[in-house]
Amino acid sequence: MELRYYIIRRFLILIPTLFGLVLLTFILLRAIPTSDLIASFISQKATAQERVIEKQQAIAYLGLNQPLPVQFLYYLNDIIHGNLGVMYTSFYTGPVMGGIERFLPYTLELSIATVILSILIAIPLGTYIGARPNSPSDAIGRIFSLGVYAMPIFWLALLAQIIFGKNIGIFGSYGLPISGEGYPTTTKVPWIVNNVSEPTHMLFVDALLHGNLTIAYSAFIHLILPVGVLTLSILAGLLRFIRAGMVDTANQEFVKTARAKGVPEKLVLRRHVRKNALLPSVTVIGLLMAGLLGGVVVIEYVFQLRGMGRLTLATITGLNIQFYGVAGTVLFFGIILMITNLIVDVVYAFLDPRIRY
Amino acid sequence: MITQEENVKEISASKPYIVVKDLVTQFFTSKGIVKALDKVSFEIYPGEIYGLVGESGCGKSVTSTSIMDLIPDPPGRIMGGEIYIDSFNILSDLRSLAKIRIKSETEVKIKRSKRANKRHNEILSQIRGNKISMIFQEPFLALNPTMRIGDQIMESILLHNILSISDGIIKRHNLNSNDLDKFMKNLNGENDHLKRKKIINNFVSEFGIQEFEESLNSLIENSTDDSYVKTEIINMVQENKKNIDMKLISEIREYYYYKNQLFQLTLEEIQAERTGETAIRNQKHEQIKALRRYINNKYFVLRMKLRLAEKHYMAPFRKEARRRAIELLSLVNIAGPEIVVDSYPHELSGGMQQRAMIAMALASNPKMLIADEPTTALDVTTQAQILEIIKDLNELIGMGVLFITHDLAVIAEMCDRVGVMYAGNLVEETSTTEIFNDPKHPYTVGLMNSVPRADRKREKEIRLDTIPGTVPNLITPPSGCRFHPRCKFAMDICSLKKPKLVEISPQHKVACFLYSDESEVD
Ligand SMILES: Nc1ncnc2c1ncn2[C@@H]1O[C@H](COP(=O)(O)OP(=O)(O)O)[C@@H](O)[C@H]1O
Ligand code: SF4
Ligand SMILES: [Mg+2]
Repeated sequence: MELRYYIIRRFLILIPTLFGLVLLTFILLRAIPTSDLIASFISQKATAQERVIEKQQAIAYLGLNQPLPVQFLYYLNDIIHGNLGVMYTSFYTGPVMGGIERFLPYTLELSIATVILSILIAIPLGTYIGARPNSPSDAIGRIFSLGVYAMPIFWLALLAQIIFGKNIGIFGSYGLPISGEGYPTTTKVPWIVNNVSEPTHMLFVDALLHGNLTIAYSAFIHLILPVGVLTLSILAGLLRFIRAGMVDTANQEFVKTARAKGVPEKLVLRRHVRKNALLPSVTVIGLLMAGLLGGVVVIEYVFQLRGMGRLTLATITGLNIQFYGVAGTVLFFGIILMITNLIVDVVYAFLDPRIRY
Repeated sequence: MITQEENVKEISASKPYIVVKDLVTQFFTSKGIVKALDKVSFEIYPGEIYGLVGESGCGKSVTSTSIMDLIPDPPGRIMGGEIYIDSFNILSDLRSLAKIRIKSETEVKIKRSKRANKRHNEILSQIRGNKISMIFQEPFLALNPTMRIGDQIMESILLHNILSISDGIIKRHNLNSNDLDKFMKNLNGENDHLKRKKIINNFVSEFGIQEFEESLNSLIENSTDDSYVKTEIINMVQENKKNIDMKLISEIREYYYYKNQLFQLTLEEIQAERTGETAIRNQKHEQIKALRRYINNKYFVLRMKLRLAEKHYMAPFRKEARRRAIELLSLVNIAGPEIVVDSYPHELSGGMQQRAMIAMALASNPKMLIADEPTTALDVTTQAQILEIIKDLNELIGMGVLFITHDLAVIAEMCDRVGVMYAGNLVEETSTTEIFNDPKHPYTVGLMNSVPRADRKREKEIRLDTIPGTVPNLITPPSGCRFHPRCKFAMDICSLKKPKLVEISPQHKVACFLYSDESEVD
């Protein structure tokens, strides 16, 4: 009955899900032929005999001679200790975990800004449109949604760069940065250089917390276009969904009851329709998050930003596939999705009294 | 438990509370125009239970929804007629609401006027839930799933009773020793136990301190020291005064007072519009505009406050409303109203939900309740209990009821008068006794024969064994008397002209050419 118990239960369910996710990445790893991986341990100059020995050593080192369940246990053990292996790419070389730590904050900053912005726009706009089905504003909303929905996100991003980009867009040199160029690098940010606190690791937020407006401004203008494009892509679906929720709820019996009580039309929408209409949209936000992570990969590439998306991409676009890199990033994206869904479920339970049992 | 004893039931030659005249309601669908109601007329008097009976799909719900003016648009519209509620015609501005061009059955252009509809809705929201309330067939669907029962009832109370609640709070605030002296004098002048209780009851209601009624009762029982009792009462009231910002209360009261004025002016404007008195209409229009501007300016801050933190600023009102909500819940026989008030609809059984709906409908003491098949979705025992509550409310508070059902046994049990509907027409109307003993219209006769009467067993559906054929499609209804394809007595005229509902004997109206030659002119 109580929300608290519900949250605890959802947390407990997280454990088997997590286990399943780890198992899945393990299977993924083992599904790829291991010859490449082993080859990377063998020196090119060695003689044929040395190679055989090196190969055997590599197999033993990697634990590939153990039975699969034992391999899985090793894998599990490593993950629990935060050891996701090492990757070697031109984008980043080092422990996968270290890479995630370094590039995640930027992606988080992008995604959180996008989610907040989309919700802030979608709720008022969606409820406005949904309250007036088949009106001109509804038609405009529909054209917008379908139009944006039909556009691949990279194209949308290129379009945004062409229109608003610095030096190439309609604003000339006053345009917005279209690449990571000019983004305050770690070597210049005083609190990183001097090892002062980095509360969130997100540059814009940290800069604000440190009261350094110059850096905050620079970080902010670099966020505008990528966040804008990501928001557009999410907004398209979200708007349609909220609109559908509003129309659907407005036809429900209890809305008639509200009118029969004498609730004025504005309050009917605000008090009775809106909340019930937005409930299903909350769950959709969880789904959109998955799309968002996919979008982030593309956006970071197009805008040349150094985030998780680029790291993920780097693991498969170099000369050799970075096994550990792939497994690590996939695992990580999976965990992020699970956490988002947990948050969504808790928020939903908080909003909808019928959920708690 | 029903405790209010005022207004004991009276069906008299008084003015009808509801008058429906030539009501035409249609639905514009892709298959054609559904002529759901075709000139339905009837009247309901204060304090009576009027039953509406007929097969499913004959237009009972459309009739009741039209009275509340809640026909879903699109696809539906009230196309003509008059509906008076407490002598005010809610359809008086019907013409101005929309321009309708009917090119063909499936091609209808409706151009709604935004301004007129806004004004219309403002007026209706003052009438609905206030002068007339409605409960529905499926209480589970009719309650907002994400709002606590108490909040839903309180919403009704707060919508229509701000003035009286603030009066109560102000009166309590100003309670002085004179009032107390008067009260004690009244009390001491009376020896009869029950009458003393009544005096106490009046006193606590007058000053809005109902929550102290019990402690006051026992205090007075056990103490003979007048001055002690007086100090205690003062203490109780002091407790209640805490945290109440009287300036805010009177400001809210004033705001709502002006809003009421605005409503009155709007009614007058519409009246003048209808009678064609342009000068008066324009004058009212200017007055409304001026008053609206005045309210918007003067209460801008208050409205912002209420918009942003209504729960906080309305707290004293909400407290009163909550007390009243609990009172209403116990009035409809809900056990543990203090718990139910904080429950969500899904935590209650169907019967409890319907009771909560009734409590909500009673929030503003409406003189009329519309009950559209209120028990159809409930199990048999619960049905009986709900029916009894409605009957009690009718007898003790004198609340009129428009009771809709397809169940003749329920009609026999509940109603004073009955209207029989067939395919969007009222075909017969008379007292309950007469409809069972001497039905006139061939359709009514068929209805009566279809129910096993000897054992009075309740049937879920009326089985029309004795009436051949099926209910007609209302997009292309039969010409003339809509019943003629199924009528054993059909004559030539029946398919040509539509019989008029006429009084063939005192209190007995029938629309059938067997009893009268009169037909509708159109
Ligand atoms: N929303 C609607 N759209 C189209 N037709 C409707 C609608 N509501 C009611 N009707 C039609 O109006 C007629 C009367 O329906 P109703 O009043 O619900 O019957 P009942 O007597 O069972 O309550 C039916 O023929 C029905 O098809
Ligand atoms: S008017 Fe004619 S068709 Fe209609 S009920 Fe009477 S006899 Fe039958
Ligand atoms: Mg019905």
